[in-house]
Amino acid sequence: MSSNRSRRGDEPVHWPLHLFVIFILILTIYPILWVLAIAFSGSQSLAIADLPAHATALDRLRAIAPWPKHFSAENFRSVFADQPFARWLLNSVVVAAMTTLLGVFLACTSAYAFSRFRFPARRAGLMAFLVSQMFPGTLMLIPLYIIIVKWLGLGSTFTGLVLIYTVTAIPFCVWMMKGYFDTIPKELEESALIDGASQATIFFRIVLPLAKPAVAVTALFSFMTAWNEFIQAATLMDRVDKYTVPVGLRFFVGGFTQQWGYFAAGSIVAAIPVMALFLFLQKYLVSGLTAGAVKG
Amino acid sequence: MASHRRRFVIGLAVAALLAAYAGAALLHGAQKAERRARAARQAVVTLSALTDLVDRAGGATAAVPATPSEGGMGLGAEIAAAEQGQAKPAGDAGDAVRRAVARFAASHPEIKAIRVVDFEGIQLTASTAAADTGDKAAPRRLEREEKDLYDLGQKLRAAVQGNREGAEGAARQPEISIAQQPNGTWSLAAPVERGGEVVGMVQMDTAVKEEPVAFGWLPFLAAWLAPVVGFLLLSLAVGERRWLLAAVAALALLVDLWAYGQYSVKVLAGERRASAKTVAAHISDETATFQTTQTTPAPDPSRWDVDELRQPLARNPQTRNAADARRVTRALAALGVLGVALLAFVGFGFAYRTGQALVEYRVAYAYALPAMIGMLVLVFFPFFYGLALSFTNSNLFNTAKPITETWVGVQNYTDILSDFAITKRTAEGRVWNYSNFYYTLIFTIVWTVSNVAIGVSLGLILALILNLKGFALRPLYRVLLILPWATPNYITSLIFKGMFHQQFGIINQIIQLFGGHPVAWFDKTLTSFLVMLTTNGWLSFPFMMVISLGALQSIPSDLYEAARVDGASRWQQFTSITLPSLRPALVPAIILSVIWTFNQFNVAYLVSAGQPGGSTEILITQSYKIAFEQYRYGYAAAYSAIIFLILFAYGTWQNRVTGATEALG
Repeated sequence: MSSNRSRRGDEPVHWPLHLFVIFILILTIYPILWVLAIAFSGSQSLAIADLPAHATALDRLRAIAPWPKHFSAENFRSVFADQPFARWLLNSVVVAAMTTLLGVFLACTSAYAFSRFRFPARRAGLMAFLVSQMFPGTLMLIPLYIIIVKWLGLGSTFTGLVLIYTVTAIPFCVWMMKGYFDTIPKELEESALIDGASQATIFFRIVLPLAKPAVAVTALFSFMTAWNEFIQAATLMDRVDKYTVPVGLRFFVGGFTQQWGYFAAGSIVAAIPVMALFLFLQKYLVSGLTAGAVKG
Repeated sequence: MASHRRRFVIGLAVAALLAAYAGAALLHGAQKAERRARAARQAVVTLSALTDLVDRAGGATAAVPATPSEGGMGLGAEIAAAEQGQAKPAGDAGDAVRRAVARFAASHPEIKAIRVVDFEGIQLTASTAAADTGDKAAPRRLEREEKDLYDLGQKLRAAVQGNREGAEGAARQPEISIAQQPNGTWSLAAPVERGGEVVGMVQMDTAVKEEPVAFGWLPFLAAWLAPVVGFLLLSLAVGERRWLLAAVAALALLVDLWAYGQYSVKVLAGERRASAKTVAAHISDETATFQTTQTTPAPDPSRWDVDELRQPLARNPQTRNAADARRVTRALAALGVLGVALLAFVGFGFAYRTGQALVEYRVAYAYALPAMIGMLVLVFFPFFYGLALSFTNSNLFNTAKPITETWVGVQNYTDILSDFAITKRTAEGRVWNYSNFYYTLIFTIVWTVSNVAIGVSLGLILALILNLKGFALRPLYRVLLILPWATPNYITSLIFKGMFHQQFGIINQIIQLFGGHPVAWFDKTLTSFLVMLTTNGWLSFPFMMVISLGALQSIPSDLYEAARVDGASRWQQFTSITLPSLRPALVPAIILSVIWTFNQFNVAYLVSAGQPGGSTEILITQSYKIAFEQYRYGYAAAYSAIIFLILFAYGTWQNRVTGATEALG
């Protein structure tokens, strides 16, 4: 209690600030609640409640409150049963899982080389990863489309998407893994080398297990890159049964179809896992994003 | 030690091998293409003759009896029998067509089947196909399985009409269909016209024999070995002078390529001559055959040798040979540049050193290379390919053509950058020209600046509040305020698009709650922009907040203690301690945020989609639309390259400015 009193003494009053933060918070949360309300409303309508012809203020208030009239899981059932959403979810899982496997493998091996060895073109290689982040997506989109679809014949295949997503995720992953490998003391490997362990043994048996947390973050970053990507998938996948979740969700509400109930239910199913992972891991992502920039 | 000489000899051998092989392969390909075109021309001549024949026979009314000549080439007895029994008057024209077709087939053993389709009544007027005998013999209605045949005819009809009515410069559709079937026979089809209307189609399956062309091994070997031998001899005189050796080797390679180019042009000219001769001979053969079948009215063989658009093929050999020479020169010039680069790479010892490094550091490279190769193939190669594409007029229809044929130099760039028509005159007076590059650029800059300003100020204010000591519920606020960042931004964009829906959107409901009128958000540039801004503000402030919060928490509290002891006010503490400490974290975050917002594809594409009338496109979505809605790949690539240059210049400038001020401070 005493600390409370002392605080009251020299700190200004907080409640106006609380009001401001709560106001921002309402703006932040409202769209999310709105999606939840639409998803559980059991209908395809954009409106949470239908308005009578001569709507009173109360009716209107009812229509904006993010609380469905009747709770129903019908949209969730229907999006899986009547729409190819389960198929899209499976496609996204397959693509994201393959991207994660390939991305983590390539990023770990490459980052290990950049962290542990000194070789010609090492700096150039590291810079190349950075510079590649500046290339605009659309400049790459046309050549990638020509290479993947026309030359390699990988249009509407998962392989094409996985390859693109992997190289998209690699630069960030390499820089992050390299930073982590740098913090692992070299003495461990040197003593193993004296004991006669091969380079591969050292990498797989000693270094990788020590770098587990960084591997986890790399894996999740790769996964999210693939899970949330929209443009490439929209360009390469021109068959409905090959859509990934982002392209599929756009399919519900883009152009002339207005199936907001399916969209809302699908969005929730697609977003909840990545949102949970993101909240869990955001501090690593932030440090990864800023570490390179602050040092440079 | 003749190491320089040896390296240049090896370099020249490798470079000449690759250049000569590539040159020979290109020539071989061009020869094959010419032979193929020759075969196709012959087939088209046959088809045109057949079409003319059907046209004459079908055009004849009952009053003008057909005048067949007896004793024509390979006439079958059954045809003569058919002639005797001229049946019902209504079938006269059809009978004449069937007779003509049967004779034509009899005199052309390579033709496997001829089908004549009459669109009126969807009739198969005549057919010599093996399947169409007995109760399936023509004339009869087309059956369901023969829908492809009917569709092909309709496609030709649409093409003829479209080309006739089509605007100047519009893409023209082929009026003759040529398709190669898997079993080696070709299927050709041409429209039959009467009084300017397409009333039917003639289709034939024919065996086309393409004359095979041998790969020129001898010229290839000569082109490979001649410069090497020549250089060996010359280098004896030059000795070990490195630059002179390089010059002589390069010269040898270029002279060699030039000579091979001359040879290629000659070979191709020969092929062209052979084609002209063969086709001319074929036309006179067909004319002779035609006259034995149908004497009046006389055929017009000058209209038989045509391309797919039924335009007479260019006869002027000079222009064709000049075009060939240009193509050869371009291809060989490119090969020459590559060859000289390779020569220098090997000759100056880079190849040797690279090889040594690869061996010496093989473990490191084994680890690093898989990812690097992936990046090279799917990031750097596409990047440079995109840059190359930006110098071409590549579009949906010519992606198969080699880059030398679509090359237009810097034309795309000058087209984009020299078009200052930001406004245009219409019936309603001067209006913005939304498709102009500078309009979109200004819009994108306004968009970026307002977004980053909103993101930074809101993020910073929230961070400062959440960093207050003893502020209740801090962790809860923090987690909830991060949620927009965690939401996939394509979902955010679609949610906001829904919330701002004119009729059912929640925002208009709120406006009506307070007595306002619903707003058509996407009908005006300003409101559309505001919706985009709201969306992006919503999803981008948490990033700035988290970054600022992290930086604030890392400021040691004794700094403030010391300031307070010195009597600094709260505002002085903020400007002299808080802001400078935030700088190292905020500057990179702002740079990142500028780049992200400048290229914020999802919000611009999914929320407003450029509405109204393309006025809210940002550069990146504009280039996407040019590429994937107008299919102008080359132009879109130039557009994207300009975006890259803008961002690159910005990054460099920002780096220099912030670096300089840091050095000063």
